[in-house]
Amino acid sequence: MNIAKLSFGQVFTLVLSGTILSAVVLNLANYEVPAGLMLAIGLELVIGLSVFAYLNNSVIYCLKRIVEAFITLLVIATFTFALLRLMPGGPFDEEKALPPEIKANIEKKYGLDKPPLTQYLNYLKGVATLEFGESYKYIGRSVGDIISESFPASFVLGLYAFVLSFVIGIPLGLFAASRHNTFWDNLAMGVSISGVALPNFLIGSVLIIIFSYWLKVLPPALWDSPIYYVLPVVTLGVRPAAFIARLTRSSVLDVIGSDYIRTAKSKGLSNFTVLYKHVLKNSLIPVLTYSGPLLAGILSGSFVIEILFAVPGIGKHLVQSVSNRDYPLILGLTLLYSVLLVVSNLIVDLLYSFFDPRISLA
Amino acid sequence: MVKNPFEIRGLSMIKSVVSRINLVLFFISTSLLIVLLATVGCKKKSSGGDYGLKKSETLRVRIIGEPPTLDWHKSSDTTSSFIITNLMEGLVQFNYTGPEVTLSPALATSWESSEKAKVWTFQIREGVKWSDGEVFEPKHIVDGWERLLNPATASQYAYYLYGIKNAKAYNEGSLKDFSKVGLELKGNTLKVTLEKPMQFPFMLTHSSTFPVRTDIVNKYGDQWTEPQNIVTLGAYNLIKWEHDKALLATANPLFFDRPAKTKNVVFYVIQETQTAINLFDAGKIDAIRTLPPQDIPALKRRKEYIDYSILSTYYYGFNTSKAPVDNPLVRKAIIHAIDRSQIVKMMQGGQKPLSGWIPFGMFGYDPSVGLAFDPVRAKKLLQEAGYDESNPLPKIQLSFNTLDAHKKIAENVQAQLKENLGITLEIKNEEWKVYLETLKVNPTHMFRMAWVADYPDPNNFFEIQLSYGNNNRTKWKNKEYDKLIEDAVAIIADKPKRLEMYAKAHKILVNDDAPVFPIYTAVAQNLIADRVVSFPTNVMYEFRLKNTSVQ
Repeated sequence: MNIAKLSFGQVFTLVLSGTILSAVVLNLANYEVPAGLMLAIGLELVIGLSVFAYLNNSVIYCLKRIVEAFITLLVIATFTFALLRLMPGGPFDEEKALPPEIKANIEKKYGLDKPPLTQYLNYLKGVATLEFGESYKYIGRSVGDIISESFPASFVLGLYAFVLSFVIGIPLGLFAASRHNTFWDNLAMGVSISGVALPNFLIGSVLIIIFSYWLKVLPPALWDSPIYYVLPVVTLGVRPAAFIARLTRSSVLDVIGSDYIRTAKSKGLSNFTVLYKHVLKNSLIPVLTYSGPLLAGILSGSFVIEILFAVPGIGKHLVQSVSNRDYPLILGLTLLYSVLLVVSNLIVDLLYSFFDPRISLA
Repeated sequence: MVKNPFEIRGLSMIKSVVSRINLVLFFISTSLLIVLLATVGCKKKSSGGDYGLKKSETLRVRIIGEPPTLDWHKSSDTTSSFIITNLMEGLVQFNYTGPEVTLSPALATSWESSEKAKVWTFQIREGVKWSDGEVFEPKHIVDGWERLLNPATASQYAYYLYGIKNAKAYNEGSLKDFSKVGLELKGNTLKVTLEKPMQFPFMLTHSSTFPVRTDIVNKYGDQWTEPQNIVTLGAYNLIKWEHDKALLATANPLFFDRPAKTKNVVFYVIQETQTAINLFDAGKIDAIRTLPPQDIPALKRRKEYIDYSILSTYYYGFNTSKAPVDNPLVRKAIIHAIDRSQIVKMMQGGQKPLSGWIPFGMFGYDPSVGLAFDPVRAKKLLQEAGYDESNPLPKIQLSFNTLDAHKKIAENVQAQLKENLGITLEIKNEEWKVYLETLKVNPTHMFRMAWVADYPDPNNFFEIQLSYGNNNRTKWKNKEYDKLIEDAVAIIADKPKRLEMYAKAHKILVNDDAPVFPIYTAVAQNLIADRVVSFPTNVMYEFRLKNTSVQ
């Protein structure tokens, strides 16, 4: 064991995989993952990416992208604010009409009686200080509280589904490509087409029937110990898995015909080595592109899955806050989703050069 | 380093790590980290979905969404009030044992009216304790009412106490001194002076009139309803509130009445009804209070299904300021042309057709009042209004908020009007909040509405259609009707006289002018597991669980 001879990259990978592995094991053993550990993982990722950017001379590029991100978020916030105010129906309209004095009282309390420009500036001030205010619908709960209480469930659900989709999708696509135009290829692609075409509530319902009603081994809904994770994660992961399988397959078929692969084969390397060592690595670019928005979307909660399995996540809020005209919550959630999307895209762009040295960002 | 141009750097990094360091050592160190964190830092989460409670001591009910608030001076939805009425009591409570709903003592042991029901005196119960051990005092009631009426609270139900002298002025901010509001507290006696005579105790069943501990509210602000802060005095105490997930309540050992029959109640937040039914079948929940109308035909066959009439109506209103329905003859023609029993049969839920304004089960209900199905008369009235083949009735619009059940009823009405009267009804649906806005600003010729009784008295329904009523979207005004309703509410003892006045008003509303088209008395539809005994099924749609037990 030559610990002294380790390079930064190797130590970093070790520490990162160690902390991530601990977090996953703790979560699956039904322990609460300490916030400190999550923070440490986040920090490690930031450090890793910054060092990587530095080594690749793409620091300027990174900074440019971050500034663009802030501008994008500002534009999104403004548009959302404006669109909300244009929607008919306000947050305090109920079927039993409010006496006008009482309605006036409520609107004054939430600052809705001020002119729109003042409201907008107050809102921007709040965003800058990360104070999104209180929900109009859930009295006494701040938007920050609602998000921090609901986000973990969606995050866990989304992350596991994300990982699952790669674990299933990539081998499946690779397998199909290696057996191109045979029965196995058609079978694999048939399965993945159904995964994309079938609505996820249908897949979910069928899984519930099989595993909760007939076999009685899994609970049909709710979200507690890890056994509750199984059905929602599988249901959520099926469609991305199918997409990734198709992407992988077509990209692999593309790469397999190239010169350097023929060189590798003519060098005498085994099919296995060629396939898994050389072909796969170079086919992952399209998958990488897909995984950026996928990560953002899957982490911010799938409304249908969360409703079907009664998962207390953030997906429900994304939809209901609009029906409720809960302006602060809508704005907070829109920004959350935008941040996730922007960050995922940035990471994916940085990783391009990591995966394919021919791509340079600077 | 010269690298093979088609090798991925990341994977090769991991590869070289693995080859350099003993894999075993890596896993040992990671496992140590995990064990360290598990024992020192983290706690194991509660296992299973039942909070570790014994099933024989626990009732599990489903609520359709997260309660927006448990602050009873600010809540306005049925989910919040379901939970609040299990945590708190008011001066009086409903008694469902007789044929009509009456009032029983709760925090008030007795009450009487004087000066022709303009003054009400309540004797307040002694020896009651709040959940934190403090003694309940009559002044807590007055504190609660002050908070409800205080404009700063911005409570939607402040108008419930507008019957009290000067209460409205205090709520509007024109009166700043609360002591001028008609309340007098002497020892255990609370004397309430009203603006004019009315059935005041009925209003006190509503959670917005419950007492409150202002010291707790002031101490914790908007977080005072969190389980670690909230102080209540009802049959159950709030133990846990996992937002958007579930609430847990256990029987209050200090409750002033008979202790609750079931020790624990868990309220699960489950939005999708099919998911709730899946959990019901898996034995994870015991009661579902609302069922989707489109599934009723299938659900009806289950032995756990029950439906019962509640004091709630479903009706279509007319915008009486919009031609051609500004003409009462046209409105009456439309009503006569629709067979309500067809609609009710389609719903298959046990709803009762309603031609009058007061629902089945309430004092003042009259099956003979209103306009019955009579297509011949309908055509005649339409002709009288001046419409026939050469001058057909212009197209009229019906709007409703987007929901499958509303659409089915609207389509049925549309078909019936075409067939029985030969007129075209255009139907349109809007998202809920948009719909409310339309109702406020410019209602279509016809629009769908519903009303659930706030208290079991016909005044609650009749006052909707007062010319100055906040909920009167029909723009119909009738001074004679107004006077009858205003006078009838003041009569407390002379029931026959009151009934006579209501009968007159009823006829004006649904026979003579017909600004509304009542369709049916609503029903509640529940799924209750066999192990549950005495689940509350009452006309007020109130779900107090203190007398419910599980086997």
